[in-house]
Amino acid sequence: MKEFSYIIKDKVGIHARPAGLLVKEASKYNSDITIMTKGKSADAKKLFAVMSLSAKTDDEVRISIFGEDEIVAEQGLRRFFEKNL
Amino acid sequence: MFWKKKNIGTIYSPCVGQVLNLSEVPDAVFSEKMLGDGACIVPESDEIFSPVDGEIVQVFDTKHAYSIRSSDGLEILVHIGLNTVELKGEGFTSLVSQGDKVKIGDKIAKVNLEYVQDMGYQLYTPILITNMSEVKKINVTEKKVNVNDILFTYNK
Repeated sequence: MKEFSYIIKDKVGIHARPAGLLVKEASKYNSDITIMTKGKSADAKKLFAVMSLSAKTDDEVRISIFGEDEIVAEQGLRRFFEKNL
Repeated sequence: MFWKKKNIGTIYSPCVGQVLNLSEVPDAVFSEKMLGDGACIVPESDEIFSPVDGEIVQVFDTKHAYSIRSSDGLEILVHIGLNTVELKGEGFTSLVSQGDKVKIGDKIAKVNLEYVQDMGYQLYTPILITNMSEVKKINVTEKKVNVNDILFTYNK
């Protein structure tokens, strides 16, 4: 299992557009990917779940990745968060 | 005769306006169906109604987007305007809360169309099925519709 944390910098947080982009990125990998924040967790491959986290600017999110491609998934997702959120 | 009637469903129009294919929306996140498949409407009336029977899963803090789980398990996103998240709720009034049960034609939001446009935002309003694996095909007819007219149909 791989895990990392990220503090949201985007000025409106994980709203519809970044949630869609995140689901698209997460869906590239076979690993199970969970995103957690403020006591809630969501399957990073499910748009409704990701949007429901309502992650805002300055919120810390924790991403956990479990599966055969977890190493590349972690690299890809770290890059994704840095670039988009 | 064998009718596969249950495999076709309908999403109803949330407002008066012109129906467009998603490919016509000048925003790649919608035209490339990144959030889901469905249709777009350009609202001409300021009241927005539920396009399905179901439950409100999320009202965005910014009141410009609504997630609704339909009674047949589809996850529907009603996204009013493009980039309207930036308005931070100004111009939008939500008439529902998370957990509310809604029927087709129940009012869910009011939008000040003039304000949104004056602020420089476009009114394209995509209505999307976000759990796309549930549907095989979306059928859209581009035309002017009224509230509760067919917005699009889908094959399961």
